[in-house]
Amino acid sequence: METTLLLNTSLLLTLTILLTPIMLPPMLKNFQNSPTSITRTVKTAFLTSLIPATTFIYSGVESITSYWEWKFIMNFKIPMSLKMDQYSMVFLPIALFVTWSILQFATWYMASEPYITKFFTYLLTFLIAMLTLTIANNMFLLFMGWEGVGIMSFLLIGWWQGRAEANTAALQAVMYNRIGDIGLILSMAWLASTLNTWEIQQTLHPQQTPTLPLLGLILAATGKSAQFGLHPWLPAAMEGPTPVSALLHSSTMVVAGIFLLIRTHPMMATNNTALTICLCLGALSTLFAATCALTQNDIKKIIAFSTSSQLGLMMVTIGLNLPQLAFLHISTHAFFKAMLFLCSGSIIHSLNGEQDIRKMGGLQKTLPTTTSCLTIGNLALMGTPFLAGFYSKDLIIESLNTSHLNAWALLLTLLATSFTATYSLRMTLLVQTGFNRTSPITPMNENNPSIINPITRLAMGSIMAGLLITSLITPTKTPTMTMPFITKTAAILVTILGITMAIELSNMTHTLTYPKQNPLTNFSSSLGFFNPLMHRLFSTNLLHKGQKIASHLIDLSWYKKMGPEGLANLQLMASKTVTSTHTGLIKTYLGSFTFSILMIILSSY
Amino acid sequence: MSLFHLSFYSAFTLSSLGLAFHRTHLISALLCLEGMMLSMYIALSIWPVENQTPSFTMVPVLMLAFSACEAGTGLAMLVASTRTHGSDHLHNFNLLQC
Repeated sequence: METTLLLNTSLLLTLTILLTPIMLPPMLKNFQNSPTSITRTVKTAFLTSLIPATTFIYSGVESITSYWEWKFIMNFKIPMSLKMDQYSMVFLPIALFVTWSILQFATWYMASEPYITKFFTYLLTFLIAMLTLTIANNMFLLFMGWEGVGIMSFLLIGWWQGRAEANTAALQAVMYNRIGDIGLILSMAWLASTLNTWEIQQTLHPQQTPTLPLLGLILAATGKSAQFGLHPWLPAAMEGPTPVSALLHSSTMVVAGIFLLIRTHPMMATNNTALTICLCLGALSTLFAATCALTQNDIKKIIAFSTSSQLGLMMVTIGLNLPQLAFLHISTHAFFKAMLFLCSGSIIHSLNGEQDIRKMGGLQKTLPTTTSCLTIGNLALMGTPFLAGFYSKDLIIESLNTSHLNAWALLLTLLATSFTATYSLRMTLLVQTGFNRTSPITPMNENNPSIINPITRLAMGSIMAGLLITSLITPTKTPTMTMPFITKTAAILVTILGITMAIELSNMTHTLTYPKQNPLTNFSSSLGFFNPLMHRLFSTNLLHKGQKIASHLIDLSWYKKMGPEGLANLQLMASKTVTSTHTGLIKTYLGSFTFSILMIILSSY
Repeated sequence: MSLFHLSFYSAFTLSSLGLAFHRTHLISALLCLEGMMLSMYIALSIWPVENQTPSFTMVPVLMLAFSACEAGTGLAMLVASTRTHGSDHLHNFNLLQC
């Protein structure tokens, strides 16, 4: 059987199915989109995308297909090429599965939205851009997907555009992404000028790749995947509706930066500087985000910070020279993070818009399915043995412990792992257990199949995905099999430590046993003071400099003091002093006349 | 220098000092000016006698003609300034203003 033909054909079929809701309405006369039709489209596309995935798992076939070639200039060609390797093959069904569940959930969540079809079309456009990014073999096609997801993120975060916070959050997202784009364009320019290609398989350098393009790629990943330094947009992006947060800012868009680094990994494998930068940056991001999540009270913000922390962990894995493991973490993370967001969406709607966990409690009895899946998701996030998160997270921590690296990065990552357990458990305890702190009358009802089915589907995925993916895909680098006992159980131990801390912490929240403010909680709840420092400092500095140069230096100094007016002032001062002596009286005049005549006459003797 | 020369040197100097330091009336300045002219006439008259050059004998007469014009001009200005300023008191006069 021609496996490559089957592969390419089924992939093209998947993409065409996804494009139908966008292509058909302009072409056919009475064709209207609807939320259910778009959901059905994505479901069909998911089922179709299982064909290339199973083909790959069965036979290991990979292919690069080049379509239409754009002859840019004489010797620089840009083919539109699609790469089907293990990363795109496995990511495609996962992304489509998660999107299908989210769209089904969104038919309930956004049911009262007047422009619901436009919302679904936006989500579909985003999905297409993300998939373009994933299967692109050419940096140009990848850049198109990259920009596409950035723009759709902007449009979707600011969906409720009457809200000022939503607009500022969308603008923040676009600006931080743009700073990352500078790095991507830098790398593309370097590639075009040095290697004369934008094809990824041609970028492998025989010796060590110079650090400059790699720095550009790392900057791009920092911007898109919210690493420390360009991170504030991710918590702010929670202003968008929950399906947007679930799709973009947990499973798909934010992993685009990490995915870029995975794709271009052969370039980075030999350059130790770039790898160390990735490692340290990832360790810093994961710890910072986990620290900030400890004292957050908004349920969506906690999940956003946990996403940020896991992205830092993925960056650490890249820095360890293990792209396959990072990809595994992306895949498993998509399941439980999307599920966490959907559960939080269900809770928010059931409590009529309440997002503060201090005003939730005892929901285990009233929302049983949602809260059970929330627990499953949190356990998977913490790395509970044999759930989905365990396969990727534990492997990462083990590799960290057994490789030659920066001890500081290792310490930070372990600390962040324990914090992960802490904030997850805090969220679980405050939301589900204890006394009911919500308002008395709530429209609590989760009996709709549009809620139950997606969440339970994703829960099954969270439980089984890790096992499935690790048993079906062979690793290219052998993981370390033997290590001391403490090293092997390091992840579990720090998680248990975090759990103990969490129980203590959540007790403190409503029994008032400690003073409300101390420097550490202040640091954590104000997100490390990064936002006011960076946002105010830079702009104030720049504007002051501008004022100094334009107004003070040029207008006031040169034109007023030194130039024309200054000269005039000098003359004025001199003439004012002298004018008082010019009286115009004849007597003085004649007296000075005589005086000078006398002087002249006397001096000649 | 001889006593004769001293007389008209001192007459000239005293008249010029008088011109510079006159106190109230402009007419006293004009009189001093006439005194300067007189001493100059005498000096110019003595000069051809001392230097034995008869061709310079006409010079004092020329000078007298010019000094007459000048005296006339001075008197006309005195009358004009008295008409505009009301008197010929000197502290009313200002070079900067007519």
